[in-house]
Amino acid sequence: MSSWFDYTINGLIIGNVYALVAVGLALIFGVSRLINFAQGSIYLVGAYIGWVAVMQLHTPLPLTIIVVAAAAALVGLVIERFGLRPLQNSVRIAPLLATIGISFVLDQLVMLTFSPNPRALPSQLPDVRFQLGGGTIGPLDLLIAGVGITSALLLFVFLRYSKLGWAVRAASQDRDAAMQMGVDVNRVNQAVFGIAAALGGVSGMLVGMYYNQIDTAMSLQATLKGVVAEVVGGAGNVPGAVIGSLLLGLVESYGVAVFGTSYRNLFAFLLLVVVLVLRPNGLFASTRQAPPEPLTGTFIAPSRPLRIPRWALAVAAAIFAVLPLFPVSFYVLQTLINAWLLGMLALSLTLVAGTMGQVSLGHAALLAIGAYTSALLSLTLNVPVGLAIVGGGLMSAALGTLLISPSFRLRGHYVSIATLAIGEIVSLVILNWESVTRGPIGISGIPPLTLFGYDLISPSSVYWFSLAVMVVLALLQGRLLTSHLGRSFRAIRDDDIAARAYGLSLNRYKSLAFIFGGFAAGVSGGIAAHLYSYINHETFNTQQSILALTVVILGGLGNVVGAIVGSVALVGLPEVFRIAAEYRILIYGIVLLLLVRFRPQGLLGTI
Amino acid sequence: MSNIDRRTLVKGSLAAMMAGTAFSRAALAQSAEPILLGISGPLTGPNAQYGAQWKQGFDLALDEIHAAGGINGRKLAYQFEDSQSDPRQSVAIAQKFVSDPRIVMELGDFSSPASMAASPIYQRGGLVQFGFTNSHPDFTKGGDFMWSTSVSQADEQPLLASYAVRRLGLKKLAVLHLNTDWGRTSRDHFVKAAKEYGAEIAVTEGYIAEERDFRSTLVRVRDASPDGLILISYYSDGALIARQARQVGLKQTICAASSVYSPKFLELGGEAVEDVHLGTRYFPQDPRPEVRKFIEGFKAKYNGQEPDAFNAYSYDAMNMAAAVVKIGGTDRRAIRDAFAKVKDVSSVIFGKATFDVESRRVKGAMNAELVVRKGQFTLWDGKPT
Repeated sequence: MSSWFDYTINGLIIGNVYALVAVGLALIFGVSRLINFAQGSIYLVGAYIGWVAVMQLHTPLPLTIIVVAAAAALVGLVIERFGLRPLQNSVRIAPLLATIGISFVLDQLVMLTFSPNPRALPSQLPDVRFQLGGGTIGPLDLLIAGVGITSALLLFVFLRYSKLGWAVRAASQDRDAAMQMGVDVNRVNQAVFGIAAALGGVSGMLVGMYYNQIDTAMSLQATLKGVVAEVVGGAGNVPGAVIGSLLLGLVESYGVAVFGTSYRNLFAFLLLVVVLVLRPNGLFASTRQAPPEPLTGTFIAPSRPLRIPRWALAVAAAIFAVLPLFPVSFYVLQTLINAWLLGMLALSLTLVAGTMGQVSLGHAALLAIGAYTSALLSLTLNVPVGLAIVGGGLMSAALGTLLISPSFRLRGHYVSIATLAIGEIVSLVILNWESVTRGPIGISGIPPLTLFGYDLISPSSVYWFSLAVMVVLALLQGRLLTSHLGRSFRAIRDDDIAARAYGLSLNRYKSLAFIFGGFAAGVSGGIAAHLYSYINHETFNTQQSILALTVVILGGLGNVVGAIVGSVALVGLPEVFRIAAEYRILIYGIVLLLLVRFRPQGLLGTI
Repeated sequence: MSNIDRRTLVKGSLAAMMAGTAFSRAALAQSAEPILLGISGPLTGPNAQYGAQWKQGFDLALDEIHAAGGINGRKLAYQFEDSQSDPRQSVAIAQKFVSDPRIVMELGDFSSPASMAASPIYQRGGLVQFGFTNSHPDFTKGGDFMWSTSVSQADEQPLLASYAVRRLGLKKLAVLHLNTDWGRTSRDHFVKAAKEYGAEIAVTEGYIAEERDFRSTLVRVRDASPDGLILISYYSDGALIARQARQVGLKQTICAASSVYSPKFLELGGEAVEDVHLGTRYFPQDPRPEVRKFIEGFKAKYNGQEPDAFNAYSYDAMNMAAAVVKIGGTDRRAIRDAFAKVKDVSSVIFGKATFDVESRRVKGAMNAELVVRKGQFTLWDGKPT
């Protein structure tokens, strides 16, 4: 019995920690309908500013908090002014991509300034412990809880009773109307970003002190958990974010209690999916609230795509096809093989995200399903590799569609969050289902690519194989887009109510899109597995999903050629920047930001 | 001789001088062009810290190698390519190295997915992949171009089990391990050895690398009522677990794998890591000459910073690479064959390292039983804590 009390306390303690990030995310989402992926990076910046203040300037705690809050707020204002405000009239998805780019840049700047080694950030509070159940809590636990709850309350009061708060809420409900009523929307946005960033910075510092440890990898984890907590509580709902965080902490803690530590995040993400399916607006959304994303069409604005003549495409394909006949280095070929593999994934994602409007952030899961299926089929059942890869594609199509089907009723950002969670769930199932997937040890000795009995071992043959598969998939997809199916997909994306009124069954078409997309992604994963010969649960991770989405947005949503161009660009750029060593991801982030800024509809435009 | 006028004399000596410089330049060009090693490892991304530590160890070893005259008069250098420990990038790097004729062998990568994905390319390209942190049991099975000085967990874990069970007298153990290929393999070897020595395993808990909060895990550990906690962790998560264990009031003996051996473990863990026991391959006061040279050289080069386990691995790896290149020259196949020929290479981790040609690994890692006392790693004096 006493253990359950301890699990509860521990869940609430960690929930406190999540709440600090979730509140900031909720505030920004509430106003700009934007999941701020840079929030974790501001949290990171705050932690390191705190380190400088404590270790170098020896400031006392209240001053440390003020310094960190002020510096982080400044970072937030800079992000808002130079990263996001220029995008406010562009496609809704552009700011989302911009925050991803900003988080790359901030994380890299911190890493370059402070080195990637973890540092100790000693707590400035007296080290007394209070006995509570079987464990103890310290003053820092109370301070974190205090900051979380107080900030949520203050924000609640601010939003409800202050004039600027009204402006914030008005702007979040209807930007244009608010502007007509004389609300300075830019000032509102500034205020919100400043507050959220200050909160994010302070929370990074407090959590750093809590663990006596800060390192540059803490940013992505903070964002992930914060997003889960925020959505569980109801996106944009500040007090809801606190309760969502506590609930998340409890579920994780009880999950550990019942099933063990390695299942912990599985429960966090299952909670998210369940909440999204049952109550898409979050647990604490009022029923009167308008749907969070009125129409998917406003999320992805169609633009005029760049028409590339067919002969030009044919010439480009021919040039790439004969490339290995010329004396190019294997390194160039390998880089292009990576681009073709990413291209298949991007084709899949551009279909479901661009053409269908279901922006998936968990696409790496489809790769993983394809890869594991193909690897296991060829290893344990001795299925020929060519067939095994097709099997991987089919399994990915079937299982992927089945797993993602609960998110079919969701819209806009919620689809992204649900798919993000499903992606994490797949990865955790692979980690824990040892009898099939061999768990963390992974699968080694996967046979190399063969086709009709011929080994494809030389880089040129792998190159031709992956290029051919990608081109076939691209042609099929191009054909699909011009058929009535493609038109139906786009109709659902642009206006699902009108599409339904026209007699289109949304779920059926969404399933069809995911089946086709899942197949392409699964084939890509299958080829990768045979190419690498070793895979484990880390091979296909969240970063891969985010990369795929970046490719798709960069190339132009729904644009088949754009997906391929984007893949070549995003595989190629980091390789080109190799010369810059530690700086290359920083440069990559900046290039990404510039692209979003000056070509938000993607290089080739949305179709 | 008298009819040789001054001008011819000057001309002649000038010509001789020019010929002399030209000659020495050619000779210089041959010896000044350094022998190049390729490194594939993380400089950015979540594992960037380990890449940074590798560099420190490499650079120290290179300084010493050059001070001792280099490789038969030639310098040794490395080209570090950032893979972010991502298999997609490590395979591209592998092709890059394989097709670059200046690269004579490759070192790395850090994680198993990144390293083993690149192995087929190195094997087919005939370039040695020398993985010095690759403990995955299948790493060297990738082919005869895969060699590793990573301490096999089949060797290390029984030593740790012996320390915990036989020497510290722990009878009922809770094992917390990183849920990666390394952590899992280590756990399995540890559990097997500990049971052989007569201990009972009360509970094992695997956690993912990004985990920060262990309080609920520690409740599970407490409920299993062990008399000792075994941490199969790296230093950052090891320090977190130790801190939280003490915070929730667990007072059991903690015994950790050698991978926590780092000054950062003491810095991050603070008072909570006091009395933590750990088995390591070397220790600060170690009298072995190769260890003294390593530690003193490291402190002198890096402003008094104490080296850690990953610094030692990369330092040893660079020294091993130098020894291999000395025998094998710059031919890639000869270098592979030289791995089987090197004998008793001075090593911080192994004392004297010689490859077992069958497994392409080195056996017989050194063992020291340490404990943290007054915030320092010290040799365990046999007193219970």
